[in-house]
Amino acid sequence: MNPTRDNRPSFLDRLSLLDRLVAYSVLIVGAVLMVLPFVWMVSTACKPSSELNRLPLRWIPEEPTCLENVRSLNETSPDFDQYLRNSIILTVGRTVGQFITCSLAAYGFARFEFPGKRVLFAASLALLMVPFQAIVVQEYLLLRRLDWLYTFAALIIPGIFSAFALFLLRQAFLQIPIELEEAAMMDGANPLQVLWSVTLPLSLPALAAFAVITVQAAWNDFLFPVIVSNSAATRPLTVGIALLQGERSTPWNLLMMGSLLATLPMLILFILLQRYFIEGVALTGSRR
Amino acid sequence: MVKRTLQKTVLLAALALVLLTGGVLAQEEPVIPAQACAEAGTLDLWVWDENWASILEESTNAWIESYCPGAVVNITVHPWGQYWDLVQTAATSGDLPDVFNMSQDRFYFYASNDALLDLQPYWDEYGVDTTVWGTGLVDPYRWGSNGDLYAGPVNWDTVAIYYNKDLFDAAGLEYPTSDWTWDDFAAAAAALTNPQNDVYGAAVFNEYQSGYPNWIAATGTTPVAEEGRTACTLQDEGSIEALNFLKGLQDEGYMPTVSILGGSSANDSFAYWSAGRVAVVTGGSWLLPQALEEITFNWDVVQLPRHPETGRTRSILHSVGYVAAANTEVPDLAANLILFLSSDEGQRFFAEASGVAPANPSPELQQIWVDSFGDTDINIQAFVDATTDSQGVTAFSEIWDAINTEIVLNIFDLGVSVEEATQTACDFINTQLPETAQ
Amino acid sequence: MTVIQNWLGRTPLARRRALWGLALVAPNTVGLLVFFGIPTLISFATSLQEWNGLRPPAYIGLDNFERLLRDEGFWKALGNTLKLLLLSVPTGVVLALGLALILNQQLRGRTLFRAIYFLPVVTSTVAASIVWTWIFQPRYGLVGNLLEPFGLRDTNWLTRPDLILLPIAIVTIWQRLGFDMILFLAGLQNVPRVLLEAAAIDGATRWQRFRHVTLPMLSPTTFLVVILSIINAFQIFDQVYIMTARTTRGGVGGSATTMTLLMYETAFTRNEFGYASAIALTLFVIILSVTIIQLRLQRRWVYYESDQG
Repeated sequence: MNPTRDNRPSFLDRLSLLDRLVAYSVLIVGAVLMVLPFVWMVSTACKPSSELNRLPLRWIPEEPTCLENVRSLNETSPDFDQYLRNSIILTVGRTVGQFITCSLAAYGFARFEFPGKRVLFAASLALLMVPFQAIVVQEYLLLRRLDWLYTFAALIIPGIFSAFALFLLRQAFLQIPIELEEAAMMDGANPLQVLWSVTLPLSLPALAAFAVITVQAAWNDFLFPVIVSNSAATRPLTVGIALLQGERSTPWNLLMMGSLLATLPMLILFILLQRYFIEGVALTGSRR
Repeated sequence: MVKRTLQKTVLLAALALVLLTGGVLAQEEPVIPAQACAEAGTLDLWVWDENWASILEESTNAWIESYCPGAVVNITVHPWGQYWDLVQTAATSGDLPDVFNMSQDRFYFYASNDALLDLQPYWDEYGVDTTVWGTGLVDPYRWGSNGDLYAGPVNWDTVAIYYNKDLFDAAGLEYPTSDWTWDDFAAAAAALTNPQNDVYGAAVFNEYQSGYPNWIAATGTTPVAEEGRTACTLQDEGSIEALNFLKGLQDEGYMPTVSILGGSSANDSFAYWSAGRVAVVTGGSWLLPQALEEITFNWDVVQLPRHPETGRTRSILHSVGYVAAANTEVPDLAANLILFLSSDEGQRFFAEASGVAPANPSPELQQIWVDSFGDTDINIQAFVDATTDSQGVTAFSEIWDAINTEIVLNIFDLGVSVEEATQTACDFINTQLPETAQ
Repeated sequence: MTVIQNWLGRTPLARRRALWGLALVAPNTVGLLVFFGIPTLISFATSLQEWNGLRPPAYIGLDNFERLLRDEGFWKALGNTLKLLLLSVPTGVVLALGLALILNQQLRGRTLFRAIYFLPVVTSTVAASIVWTWIFQPRYGLVGNLLEPFGLRDTNWLTRPDLILLPIAIVTIWQRLGFDMILFLAGLQNVPRVLLEAAAIDGATRWQRFRHVTLPMLSPTTFLVVILSIINAFQIFDQVYIMTARTTRGGVGGSATTMTLLMYETAFTRNEFGYASAIALTLFVIILSVTIIQLRLQRRWVYYESDQG
C-alpha cells in the first residue's frame, strides 16, 4: 500500500537527548490531556452522589460505589440493558449486511464487464459526495412512507448499502492476482464460490479494516437513530444516554457510568484490534 | 317572567337540597360516579410516568372487571424525555393512542389542531358537572367557544418550599410558617447563606411550574401569558417586581447561578438541596416520595411566602389530564374509561399511591392522599392548602419551552437585567401568540 | 431477444458474465439508489414545498429560500458553524501535524502514544460530549477547578453565548486529533527518506527540511485532512445537542445552534419539512462548493510527485 515506505535505519533517526526530552514532554502532556477525560469519567462513575457537589475535587472517590452505581443506573434507566442489546443488533446487522451487499457489488465491479458498469459505478461513487446530514430529513420521510419508522429495519437496512465500503473493497479485490480466481473458475466454481473461497480470504486485512470502520460508525451513530427510534424497543445506547442527559435529573455519576458502559465495548475492541482501526483511518483517507 | 322566577326557585331549592344531602351523605355519595360502558373493545393508553403505569394497571383492571368486562387496555410508558416527540409524531401520522396523558401547557397545540376528542358531550351524557373541579385544574383544558372540557383531570401538583431544618438550626433561625412574607424569606436567605461552607440560602428561580412563575402569580399577575393566550405578561409590573426580587437575592449572593446548580430545571435545584448545598428550594408535591426516601438531614415543607402587599401565597397548579384522540375508533369506550379514571372509584387508586394527589375534589380522597405518605411529621397538608389560591398553567408549550429556560438563564446565569430579559422573551412570545400572528 | 443479447455481450460466456456482474452489483446499487440517490433528488422537490408532514404538501416555489435569507436564526447558525470551523480546524490540523512529526521519529513507546491519541476517536461523540459537559460544569467541574488560580472556577462555559462555542470546539478537536494524526503519519511514510537525507547532507536545518521537503511532499495529505475537517465541522451536531441538553438545546438565544441542529429542529421539533429541506440543501451546496473550491486550489498549491513528470 505504501510503495515508497522505507524502513531502513537512517542517520536522521539519531536524536539528541534534548530532542528526546522535548519530544517526550510534548507527547506526555498531550497524552495526559487525551486521557484525562476518561480518567475523570471513570472516577465520577464510581462516586456516590454525595461526593459529586463537593470541593475540593477528588480523583479517587472516598467511598467508591462503582457497582452500586451500575445498579442505580439500571433503576434510573430500566431499559439500559435493552439499549445495549439494540446497539449490538444494530451494529451486527449493519456490518454483516454491508459486508454482504458491498463485497458482492465490489466483486461485480472489480471483475465483471456488463453494460452500464461505468455509469453505475460512477453513480455509486457520486453519492460519497452527499453528506448524510443533507438527506437525513428525506431519509426519515422515506422510512415513514415505507412504514418502517421505529423498527430495526429502519435502523439497519439503509445502513447496509455503502458507496464507501464498495470503493474500499473493490480496491482490495483489484489487488488480488486474477490468476488465482481464474484457476478456481477453471475448476468449475461459480463466481460466488470464487468470491467466498478465493477473493475474500485473500482480502482479510482489508475486510478487517472495513469491519472496524463499520462497527465503530454503527455503534457510535446518533443522528440517525435519534430520528428513527423512539422507544426502548429499538433505541441504541447513544440515544439512551443522550436521553438520560436530556432528562436533566440524572446525577453525574450515573451519566458517567452510562457513558463509560457505552464506550467500553469500543475501547476493548480498539485495544484488541488496534492495527485495523489505524489501517481503517488510512483507508478512509484514501477515499479521495 | 313568572315561569323564570319559578324555575329559579326550584333550582335554588334543588341546590339547597343537594348541598344539604351532600353534607350528610359525603361519605356515601361519590362526587363523580363511574358508569358501565356500552360495548367492550381494545384501547391503547400512553403515559409518561412509570409509577402511574402500575397504578393505571390496577385501576383499569377494576374498570374492566366492574364496568366493562371484556375490554382490553394496553398501557405504554414513554418517559417524559421523549413523550412529547412521540405524541407529536403520532399526531402527525394519525396514529395517536386512543387515550393518553396530556399536560396543560401542551393542550393548546393538540386542541388547536383538532387532534383531540371533545369529551363535553360525554360529560353531559354521564351527568358530570365539570365545575366540580377547581378552575385551576380544568380551565386550561377547555376549548372552543362553549368552553367544552376535553380532558378528565387525573391529579394536581402544587408547589411549596422545601427547607433544610438543620441549616435553619445552625443559623439560629426559627422555622418558617405559612404566613411568612417575601421579606421574611429574603432575611432567611441572607442568614442561611454561608460561603465558607459552600452553602447558599435559597434556589427558587428555576424554570417551569416550580420556579419563578409562582412568585409572579403571588403579585396577582398571570405568569408568562394571559389566560386567553393573547398577550405576554412578563413585562407587567407584577412580573418585573417578582423577577427583580429574585434577582436581588442572587445579586446579594444568597442564590447560586443556574450553572452552579448544574441546570435550570427544578430537578437541578432539588438535587443541590439534597446535597445540602442550599437551605431552601421551591419544589413540587411530586417530589415528596423521593424526599421522604432519600433526604438524610432534617427537613420540612411550608407554603410559599406571601407577597407583602397582596398578602397572597399562590402556587402554580398543574393537572395532568386524560384526553382521547379525535380519530379514535372507539370514542365511546375511551370516554367511558376517562370517566372511570376521573370518578371517585378510579381516583382512589391514585389517592392511595403515594405521590399522586387526586384531582377528584372529594375531601375523603384528599385525606387518603395525605395519609398515604404514612407516619411522618412532614407538613404535607401545605400542598393541599396551596390548591386554594392556585394558578393553572396557561402558557402553551411553544412559549413555555422556548422561553422558560432562556429567561431563567438570561437573568439568573448571565446577569442580564430583568427588563432586557423580559423584553427578549416577550418579543419572542408575541411572534408565537396566535392572535397577534394573524 | 437478440438485441438484449448483443447488449449484454458478444459471446455466450461474456453474456453470462455480464448477467453475473449485474446480479452482483444489483443489491448495493439499488439500495444506494433507493436510500441515498432518491432522497437526494427528492430533497430538491421538498425544498420547494411547504409541508408540516400532516396536511398535503403545497408548492411554494422559492419561498423557503427567500425565507432563509431573511431568517436571523439561519444566519446565526451559519455563523456559529463557521466560527466552530475556525476554532477547531486550524488548531486541530496543526496539532495533528505536530504530533505526527514527533511520532514519526524512532521513539520508544510511540505505538503506545499513537494508541492513546487515537482513543477519543473510537469513543462515541455522544459519550464524549456528556463527559466534557461534566468537565466544563462550573464550580464542581474539572476545567473550572484546574483554572481556579485564574478565578475561572465558576465560569459558565456552557451557557454564556460568548463562550459556549469554545468547549464544543475543544471536544471536536479532542475527538478528531487522533484521526488526523494517523492520516498525517500515513502521509509521512510517503516522504522519501533519500530527499530528507540529501537535504540534511546539504546542510539544511531541521526547519528547512520540514519547510522545503516534508511540507510540500505532504501537501496531498494536508489537503485531505483540511477538507475532511472542514466537512466534519459543517456537520457538527452531536456535541451541540448533548452539551446544551441540560439547559436549552442550541444554547441561549441559539448561541450554539449549528446548521445541522437547525435543520434537525426545523424538521423534527417544528415539523417544517420543506424549510428543513431548504436548509439541508444549502448545507449540501456549501459542502460541495468547499470541496470544489479546494479541488481547484489544490492544483495550485499541492505538490504531486507525478507533476514532476
